[in-house]
Amino acid sequence: MSMVSTEHLYKAFGRFMAVRDVNFNVEKGEIVGFLGPNGAGKTTTMKMLTGYLPPTAGTASIAGHDILDEPLEARRHLGYMPENVPLYDEMRVYEYLAYRAKLKGLYGKSVRAEVGRIIDRCGLETKRKNMIRTLSKGYRQRVGLADALLGTPELLILDEPTNGLDPNQIRQIRELIRELASEHTVLLSTHILSEVEMICNKVIIIDNGEIKAADTPARLTGSLRAAGRVSVEYKGELDVVMRELGAIPSVKKIIYEGTLPGGWQRLIVRAEPGTDTRERTAAIIARLGYPLRHIYRHIPSLEDVFVEMTRHD
Amino acid sequence: MEQEETIPKTQTSEPVRRRTSWFATLRILYLRELKVYLGTPFGWVIIACAMALLGFCLQTVIQIMSKATGEGVMYYLLNNINFWFFFIFIFPLITMRSLAEEERQGTLEGLLTAPVTTTQIILGKYLAAYTFYLIIWVPLLLYPWMGQLANLYTEYRYGITASGEIPYLLADWFGPYAILSLMGAFFIAVGLLCSAMTRSQIISGILCTSFMISFYFTGRVTELWGEFPAAPVFHYISCTEQVSSFSRGLLDTRPAVLYLTLALFTLALVKRVVDYRRWTR
Repeated sequence: MSMVSTEHLYKAFGRFMAVRDVNFNVEKGEIVGFLGPNGAGKTTTMKMLTGYLPPTAGTASIAGHDILDEPLEARRHLGYMPENVPLYDEMRVYEYLAYRAKLKGLYGKSVRAEVGRIIDRCGLETKRKNMIRTLSKGYRQRVGLADALLGTPELLILDEPTNGLDPNQIRQIRELIRELASEHTVLLSTHILSEVEMICNKVIIIDNGEIKAADTPARLTGSLRAAGRVSVEYKGELDVVMRELGAIPSVKKIIYEGTLPGGWQRLIVRAEPGTDTRERTAAIIARLGYPLRHIYRHIPSLEDVFVEMTRHD
Repeated sequence: MEQEETIPKTQTSEPVRRRTSWFATLRILYLRELKVYLGTPFGWVIIACAMALLGFCLQTVIQIMSKATGEGVMYYLLNNINFWFFFIFIFPLITMRSLAEEERQGTLEGLLTAPVTTTQIILGKYLAAYTFYLIIWVPLLLYPWMGQLANLYTEYRYGITASGEIPYLLADWFGPYAILSLMGAFFIAVGLLCSAMTRSQIISGILCTSFMISFYFTGRVTELWGEFPAAPVFHYISCTEQVSSFSRGLLDTRPAVLYLTLALFTLALVKRVVDYRRWTR
């Protein structure tokens, strides 16, 4: 059974279609990164999953519970950390978490035990009696995460958990999320692509309300156009090298990028994704007797995938 | 649930106990809302101001009572333009922030993504605001009591019995409380409705204040226009007339029906508004 499965989810705000025909599954134990430019529909989709925004059409289920037919049961299985982490400023950290735990159905001794456990886990021991108003951004974020973790829900939906944090705090939150993966299924949205590459085992790219890709980061980067690209710098004739390289079967196109100071020619060899033409390229240049000073096979990052999928020019 | 014994510190030893009773959840929401009123300066400022203004009214009541006779302190206190002048502003003050602030801060999202229904949230807020409203009138209990003390002193000093019989004293006290509670039930619901319609406390306050003022003056239409065929309607909803009869000790079931049905209807509207705003956002 999928932890999350959406069926033809649509959301319209007036005439504007924020999300159209979104279908995806999240399996138990996965950490899924939800990527997309601002305004792509990430937050809207997440809000629909949590039951805060009703979908215009379609439906989704959380741990087998339909969000429209059994909204309360679906919500019992998820912990949600909204973007910008709204909290009650006039409450104290412990008081707030205890209140949230009770709302989630915990009672009696288990409230104290659970809140204590979560406070430990999120590194909030020193702040438990502080007013939420006085907390720094990093600690607010942790309180928001702690709230989502209360009651050990099977699914965590985190909307930009590292938004607005400094690099050290980002690292801490990232470590925490990575640790959480053993107990929870995580669906998180973010702009920081390196983060996704580090912690997610599945990526969903959404743009203009539509899903552009959903796969593992490795397979996404592997299938990219930029994947087989090799750049070369050598000193010698241009035409003959271009002709010889063009004869390699997997090569699709050779681009002359200009002559650098000292007579070095710079070429980009575009080949089919997943092939490596470095060896043959080097061999050809060596056979012609030209000096070769640089050969590099481009390793595409998730950033390249993201840019390629969501570029509008 | 996955069982992982490797990290005992971060694992719950036993499955988390959960309770899903509807009223238990309502109680949690209610207690938190009440804590907002009584645990922050906000509520105490309202109580203090209401008390100061009531004291001001009492001062004029003493002036009136030195001439007029026949009715109790509470009658002159509530049938006094000074009282109405601040009474209608109590409701927007109590309710303007309840749902509007929740929406502005974004905490409504947190509430509605917890296993909680809209009805529970609204009822929790309503009951808390209503309880707080009733708390405002608790110090008012001192007035009949102080009046009684004064009577005892008069009796002792001058040998004149100035106080009434016990049943009349009780009516003098119970009638005003009954009508204040009934009106509050409806007006608090109206305040909540105004608060549900906007994310700005100010707008919510303005809406509620305008409603209160127009409702007050609708009740006084007959004083301006005299009697006409539709006049009974205006008499029926006139809060000044109801207060006047209740504070004389004349309890009537009609205002009870009026205000309780209106309160229920308004609360149903609040639920529709909250849901509607969620659907169209």
